[in-house]
Amino acid sequence: MSLKLQPKKWPGKIREVTLGAGNRQPRTVGGGNGLPLHTFEADFPHRPVLALEVTDINPPRWLDIVREPWEGLLGKPADAARKAAEQYGADLIMLNLMGTHPDRGGRSPDQAAIDVEAVLDAVRVPLIVKGPGAGAKQNDVLARVAEKYHGEGLVLHSACQEDYKTLAAVTVAYGHVLVSESPIDLNIAKQVDILLSDVNINLDRVLIDPLTGGLGYGLEYTYSVMERIRLAALGGDQMLNSPMICLVGEEVWKVKEVKVSERQEPRWGDQETRGINWEVATAWSLIEAGAEVVVLRHPDSLARVRKILDAWFAEGASNNTR
Amino acid sequence: MALTGLQIFKLLPGTNCRDCGYTTCLAFAMKLAAGQVSLDKCPTASEDIKATLGAASAPPIRGVTIGKGERAITVGEETVYFRHDKTFVRPTGLFRMIDPNRLSDGEIEKHLDDWATIGIERAGELFRVDGIAMIEPAGSRERYARLAEAISRRGMPVALMASTIDGVRSAVEKIKDQRPLIVPSPGVDQSPFVALAAEFKLPLVITGKDLDDVAATAVDAAKHGVTDMLLEPPAKDARELHQNLSRLRRGALDRIHPGLGYPIFLRVAAGEFDKVVIGITKFASLVAMENAAGEAWLPYWTLRQNIYTDPQKPLQIDPSVHSIGEPDENAPLLVTTNFSLTYFIVSTELDGTGVPSRLAVVDAEGMSVLTAWSAGKFSGEKVAKELRRLGATEHVKHKTVIIPGYVSVISGELEDALGDGWRVLTGPQEASDLNAFFRDVWQPMMNG
Ligand code: B12
Ligand code: SF4
Repeated sequence: MSLKLQPKKWPGKIREVTLGAGNRQPRTVGGGNGLPLHTFEADFPHRPVLALEVTDINPPRWLDIVREPWEGLLGKPADAARKAAEQYGADLIMLNLMGTHPDRGGRSPDQAAIDVEAVLDAVRVPLIVKGPGAGAKQNDVLARVAEKYHGEGLVLHSACQEDYKTLAAVTVAYGHVLVSESPIDLNIAKQVDILLSDVNINLDRVLIDPLTGGLGYGLEYTYSVMERIRLAALGGDQMLNSPMICLVGEEVWKVKEVKVSERQEPRWGDQETRGINWEVATAWSLIEAGAEVVVLRHPDSLARVRKILDAWFAEGASNNTR
Repeated sequence: MALTGLQIFKLLPGTNCRDCGYTTCLAFAMKLAAGQVSLDKCPTASEDIKATLGAASAPPIRGVTIGKGERAITVGEETVYFRHDKTFVRPTGLFRMIDPNRLSDGEIEKHLDDWATIGIERAGELFRVDGIAMIEPAGSRERYARLAEAISRRGMPVALMASTIDGVRSAVEKIKDQRPLIVPSPGVDQSPFVALAAEFKLPLVITGKDLDDVAATAVDAAKHGVTDMLLEPPAKDARELHQNLSRLRRGALDRIHPGLGYPIFLRVAAGEFDKVVIGITKFASLVAMENAAGEAWLPYWTLRQNIYTDPQKPLQIDPSVHSIGEPDENAPLLVTTNFSLTYFIVSTELDGTGVPSRLAVVDAEGMSVLTAWSAGKFSGEKVAKELRRLGATEHVKHKTVIIPGYVSVISGELEDALGDGWRVLTGPQEASDLNAFFRDVWQPMMNG
């Protein structure tokens, strides 16, 4: 007897988006024609990639547990990026320009550009550049960076429904990749992609950020919204088939369950391992739901998720083994 | 052919006797049509309807109960591949494995005392160790029986991880009324275990070298009289585990083989954190794990809570003013939304400060603070109206209300809407900073 387990075929597939160009070693994500990680029945030319987050200033609210691996490098983005890529094995880097926020010192677009240049000089992996959050300042900062480092295929984070034109324009003009964000809402995700293609962005240059919540804080919603976005894409929706990016680290490392010490809550166990477990569990669930680019803060989390992916997508394994 | 709820309803007795657990025959018929219950729950159903509904009336995955009493756990009964289609209904049972070959009886008793009493509350759910998986001790049948009984005595469901048929029989004889789950070691001849499960009408784990083998063995066990089974797919690594879990669920839902319609059992060695994460997200019904401590259990429980929550209906609580400690008229008054998660987090934190206070939980349709605010359910005006409606404004003399830091923007509007000399104080963004806030802002303000 043999079970008739038919591989599930879908009319659509995920777009391939290449991150990094010019002096970067490019990295392509997407291209899968089946449900996330369903390597037994679909083809995945590229595996999910993992980024580590580095910051332009010494981040005021990071916990000691995530500061420790970056000892002496916080606020030194180039050195941190080098360590992330060379020692910690990050596939790419996310430079969080949090210091450009008016409440965090309000560094200028020119200062931001200096940071970006330093990181670009320090590493060859693709670079995600995250602005201070929607608004005029974000546009100034990211537009400046995009123009100055044209041709590097930077991933600009991010445009939203209310404010996308400036970033769309520089993405097209200078050959970058744009993240389109939407608050855990399939329809808005689609809407932003439509708006972007209306202003002539080739969607092969777009990633969707569904604005995830961390484990215990909204994952129950994000997980399904992402699955539904994936299903729509596989069903053939050309406006929802961009690869997805999730900023896991910043969601995880602020929640109570990673902040409380073992002394305060003996039942909760070792705080450091608990925090890393929290980040791994969030990251992995979101990869199950369809994330292709995952941004983490703790290098141990990256190492652990990477180990699973390495085994999963070992040589030849990305193709199916029906 | 699938029947509609109404068609099934016409075939039911129509007495609304409630024996099935539903208030009307119609409600039960709807559940039957959705494949969420099985017909045998209605004791008076006619042979006619049994024949009409036939096998199609059974849920695609059988419900299996392990244990007795308050802590008994039922797994299975799932009907969908994607939780947004109809939610997952039977949260993964998380069992703790004990290896008596490495521990003395005294140590085991101590662990059991401890694990039986763990209860961590989070967002309205009590996280507990759902059961104990006891490995068969080498050499002593009496010891296995004694240890199994020690677990049962504490009310916890038992999985008997058995390597010999004689060993497990002695344990089963001792606790057969407690519905233990029989789990033969992988690779052993399963037929004596099948006979034992059939004899005592107990649930049994079926293993196999691949899914074909598992399914065939399950069908064979059913022929020998075992009705309640869990399937254990091979899972040498994370990838194979994911593949087998996915294929098992799909095969069961598509009803491609009668041997697949059972819940899934998974055993996990120490340190295999990722396998448990995959198991919880992807369809495992019961996981027995070796040595894992709080730093692993807390994320497991929380992930399970997330995956088995219905995203269609946010859990909400009734709007009202909650007292933390015994607040007097000088105690702080705070406001938050009626999303259970938010309420739970804020009230726990307030409790932890030791400062008596009042927490006004306003109707925001069960949304988190920022979600509610963006949806217009937590505007200054709405909050003011709710505070008045709930009578929150009557309890305090200081006429000050503390709002969540994330919605500092509503403070002016709220002050205007409350009028009458009320002040709005913006609290911290994260509830975990409330302690510092009381110390550094609230108390100096009230004393000076
Ligand atoms: C899950 C989620 C949803 C779920 C709903 C969940 C729910 N029941 O509320 C869904 C998917 C339905 C949803 C919908 C929307 N969402 Co929403 N959502 C989230 C998400 C991911 C998590 C929210 C959550 O559960 N947080 C956990 C709870 C516990 O947090 P909390 O209530 O804020 O409580 C904390 C603090 O505020 C504080 N606190 C609480 N009360 C009090 C009281 C006092 C006195 C103090 C001092 C502190 C305090 O303590 C708690 C813990 O520290 C967040 C993003 C994020 N990562 O946080 C976005 C987010 C809140 N959503 C957002 C938006 C825009 C929306 C939508 C409007 C999008 C849309 N157009 O569809 C809709 C609105 C809903 C509608 N119209 O029906 C935005 C809000 C943007 C903004 N800055 O205003 C966010 C921030 C995402 C984003 N970055 O854009 N959302
Ligand atoms: S048990 Fe049968 S007869 Fe009684 S209410 Fe339920 S469906 Fe109707």
